[in-house]
Amino acid sequence: MMLTLLLLIPLIAGILSFFLKGEGVKILALLSTLATLVLSGFVSYEILVAGLSGTNNTLDFSMPWIPQLGTEFSLHADGMSAMLCLLTGIVMPVIIIANWNKEVERPWSFYGLMLLSQAGITGVFLAYDALLFYAFWELALIPVYFLCSQWGGEKRIAVTFKFFVYTFVGSLMMLAALIYLSTLNPGANSYSWANITHAGASLAPETQSWVFWMIFIAFAIKLPIFPFHTWQPDTYEQSPTPVTIILSALMVKMGMFAVLRWLFPMVPQGVAFWSNTVIILSIIGIVYASFLAIVQTDLKRLIAYSSIAHMGLMCAAAFSNTQMGMHGLMVQMFNHGINITGMWLIVSMVENRYGTRDMTKLGGMATAAPQMAIALAIISFANIALPLTNGFIGEFMLFNGIFQSASAYNIVFMAVAGLGIILGAVYTLNMVQKTAFGNTTPMLISKDMTTNESLAMALIVVLVIFLGVYPKPLLELTQSVAQMMVP
Amino acid sequence: MKAIIAATIIGVIMMFASILSNNKSGIVSLATVLFFFLFGINIWEVYESINATGVAAPAYLNNMMSLDSFAIWFSMLMSGCALLYILLLGKEIAKVGKHVGEYFALIAFIMVGIYLLAGYSNMLMLFIGIEILSIPQYILAGSDKRNLKSTEASLKYFLMGSFSTGILLMGIAMLYGATGSFDIINFRMLQTDALNPLALSGILFLIIGLGFKVSAAPMHMWTPDVYDGSPTPFTAFMSTIVKAGVFVAFLRLFHASFGNLTNHWMMIVAVITATTLFIGNITAVFQQSVKRMLAYSSIAQAGFMLFAILSVNATAWQGIVIYAVAYSVATIGMFAVLIKLKDYTYDGFNGLAKKEPALAFFTTIFLMSLAGIPLTGGFMAKYFVLLAAVQQGQVMWLVIFALIMAAVSVYYYFKVIIAMYFKTGEAELNHEVTGYDKLMLGITCLLVILIGLMPQLLLNL
Amino acid sequence: MNEISLNHYLFVSCALFFIGVYGFLTRRNLITMLMAIELILNSININFIVFNKFLFPDKLDGLFFTIFIITIAAAEAAVAIAIIINLYRNYKTIDVEETNTMKF
Repeated sequence: MMLTLLLLIPLIAGILSFFLKGEGVKILALLSTLATLVLSGFVSYEILVAGLSGTNNTLDFSMPWIPQLGTEFSLHADGMSAMLCLLTGIVMPVIIIANWNKEVERPWSFYGLMLLSQAGITGVFLAYDALLFYAFWELALIPVYFLCSQWGGEKRIAVTFKFFVYTFVGSLMMLAALIYLSTLNPGANSYSWANITHAGASLAPETQSWVFWMIFIAFAIKLPIFPFHTWQPDTYEQSPTPVTIILSALMVKMGMFAVLRWLFPMVPQGVAFWSNTVIILSIIGIVYASFLAIVQTDLKRLIAYSSIAHMGLMCAAAFSNTQMGMHGLMVQMFNHGINITGMWLIVSMVENRYGTRDMTKLGGMATAAPQMAIALAIISFANIALPLTNGFIGEFMLFNGIFQSASAYNIVFMAVAGLGIILGAVYTLNMVQKTAFGNTTPMLISKDMTTNESLAMALIVVLVIFLGVYPKPLLELTQSVAQMMVP
Repeated sequence: MKAIIAATIIGVIMMFASILSNNKSGIVSLATVLFFFLFGINIWEVYESINATGVAAPAYLNNMMSLDSFAIWFSMLMSGCALLYILLLGKEIAKVGKHVGEYFALIAFIMVGIYLLAGYSNMLMLFIGIEILSIPQYILAGSDKRNLKSTEASLKYFLMGSFSTGILLMGIAMLYGATGSFDIINFRMLQTDALNPLALSGILFLIIGLGFKVSAAPMHMWTPDVYDGSPTPFTAFMSTIVKAGVFVAFLRLFHASFGNLTNHWMMIVAVITATTLFIGNITAVFQQSVKRMLAYSSIAQAGFMLFAILSVNATAWQGIVIYAVAYSVATIGMFAVLIKLKDYTYDGFNGLAKKEPALAFFTTIFLMSLAGIPLTGGFMAKYFVLLAAVQQGQVMWLVIFALIMAAVSVYYYFKVIIAMYFKTGEAELNHEVTGYDKLMLGITCLLVILIGLMPQLLLNL
Repeated sequence: MNEISLNHYLFVSCALFFIGVYGFLTRRNLITMLMAIELILNSININFIVFNKFLFPDKLDGLFFTIFIITIAAAEAAVAIAIIINLYRNYKTIDVEETNTMKF
């Protein structure tokens, strides 16, 4: 029931928003996101406690939906989905608080679409039925498409459309594979997770190897890993910052989550067959994106490429098929979401103050706006995974996982991925240096963080440091899932 | 059978009404009431057929009609769509020309044709059904008599339509030569006999003849011109309900009679399907006018419906029902919006969202349904026909091709959405959008979403 | 040998059918095209009747079908003439090549 509420609150609030005018929308959006935060926190806590006491630590809900198709409305939360719901629950109110003073055109539809996309994303994390999952997967995309196209930058229409078509093509391939798998196991719930993974896992290895690509392309485009990433920097650049946060902190996690929840159990032999290929692609992506990040001057593009590099590392660890890597991946999904949210918040503040995102025209933030500079420094340290920030524990475990992998090239993989981390330090610190220090550029509005911005930023910084020092709750929350995935 | 009689009587009443009265809005109201009545009779028939479970389907007209539960159910759904069509576009139909009552009479006669096609079991009824359905359409296409485009559309429709009827009849004649019967059940004997070349060429002729009627490529050449030239309210009718009716006839014949001969005709239909999808979608991309784009999109959607014919199984029947309704409802809604605009090009939609947010929202839902986005009727429709094809198992390549084409279709459907929401401009309307229009469009929109959420409501088989 | 067999009739019908198709595809005058369509329908009528007479003489199915075809062809011709007259009023010609207001 709580899981249904988690879906219904943003959905209903989102629909209601369209009928409200004026300030009420913002308040409604804030209240509903805070409600989901509390609720998802509660769900996570329950699962955590149940996991510690060794009892059944999942929540389930199901009711019939379309029995003729073998699909039902079934939701399932284990440690991983609860953690990602919690991430959604944290990121959404942070976005709203940080943008509290900003005027948007047509706020009712802006906030309405934001809440609807939240509902879609939560649905993806909770769905335990493949067709339901597919429906949410598409539904999360549509509000985001409208958000980007209406409130984005100059080239937004073409760029967003490219993004939309890319992801749509990918998910159609996935749909074909899902239909195929469901017909292998006809019955009243042929789409349920158990049945569809059973159907997939009992396929012949050759079949699995092409079913793998049909499904994986959808996720690879969302992630994005190397050859499928071309939509991403443009879209991040052109989207309004709140939407960029949704895209990079939440929707990207949808791809990673889907790989873990659906792809791995569905075609285990296909995954085994292609894992080296995917790791190589991911690692090419890390290095390629890192080099591109170094030469960027636009802050948004820089962070977009850095996000590709981080996702590449996570993807490589996911396919290394080790328990350590898997566990680290889950923790890192959460931490990356938090860090990149912080990053975007700073970028939007900088853009707001200086009227530009071009690094060559920025400088001297440390004297003009010390609070912003400090926050930028902390988030940047977390981004390059310095110890005592939350990035450290995750990346450490990811590398450990890649190193332990059974692949013959594990050392090479690890070395090249490590190069990515060094490059990451180069561009991140370069960015900090160029924006925070150097020649002082005059601000358009010379103001340090406003109250609402400090509040949002403080939440992020506290999480960064808290989870850096004491990551135990996250580790315990996801432990049983990691153990189940790689026994 | 009651519905067939009722629809005929309604047609006659409407003809007399047009003689006796010149009051346009009175005639529209009369037609609305009569179509409500027709829908009611259909529901009554469905109710009867549900109560009569276990009893063999009643046969009428010397065993030439077998109104099984599917036929009655499908007739009911099509009457529902026709009612929705009249409610949405009745006022627009009255604006086409002087003889308003006759248009409604013709629509009622077309409904008779659809009922015949839903339940025929004899080739004679197929022929008569198709002709009852086609001849009024030639007239409707040309009903805007002063308009060159309308006249031309009617001419092209007539020429291609009667030519294809000739081919269809040739097919029937050949099958008659091979089996000595017009009963579609008796064609099953072909399955046991050593196959007669006469019968095979008959099947080929039937595929081509029916392919003309459902505008499957390469027999689609007439479609864009006819749909573009006809008065818009009638395009909405011809491209949706009528097409769905012909598809059911196609399906009935090929499943009931030639279902076990798939190895002989499967490949032909598969190639036709692929061509239809390709031509429909790719050409739609290059259109400037939304009306013409919808004409090509109707070809593309026919490509998806052909999947139901390809895959000879029970899911195909469910698929065609859902596809027929979901596609009809969304397209009728789309045309109801289109007709309110002055300019039918994409630019005509510019800035509609600012001017009429409700109208733009409804259009978005209709287009999403046509593009097949989940939780709209169009998704479930595509899902069911593709599921049928996957279950059938021999045409996986075609399923993947269809999905790629579905992605292409997103391009031209979303161009309208982009124009409405993200481009600036002043969309000019023909006249005010009344509260009634909004209410009806809202109901249509709810139907689209309802079909997407619960397609099983349409599957009372 | 002197008997006129089924095949002879079928030859005639086949010839008529293809003359009709040829006429439909090559002639540009609407009245001629209408006549071509009538030729096609008549060839089919012959088919129905000879199949009935030679192959299945015990029932009259084919004959009745022919009657229906003739009736409906008449209805179709009526509509066709109306369309052609309307076209002539608008365009002052009955050549199909002239009716090309709609292009891509």
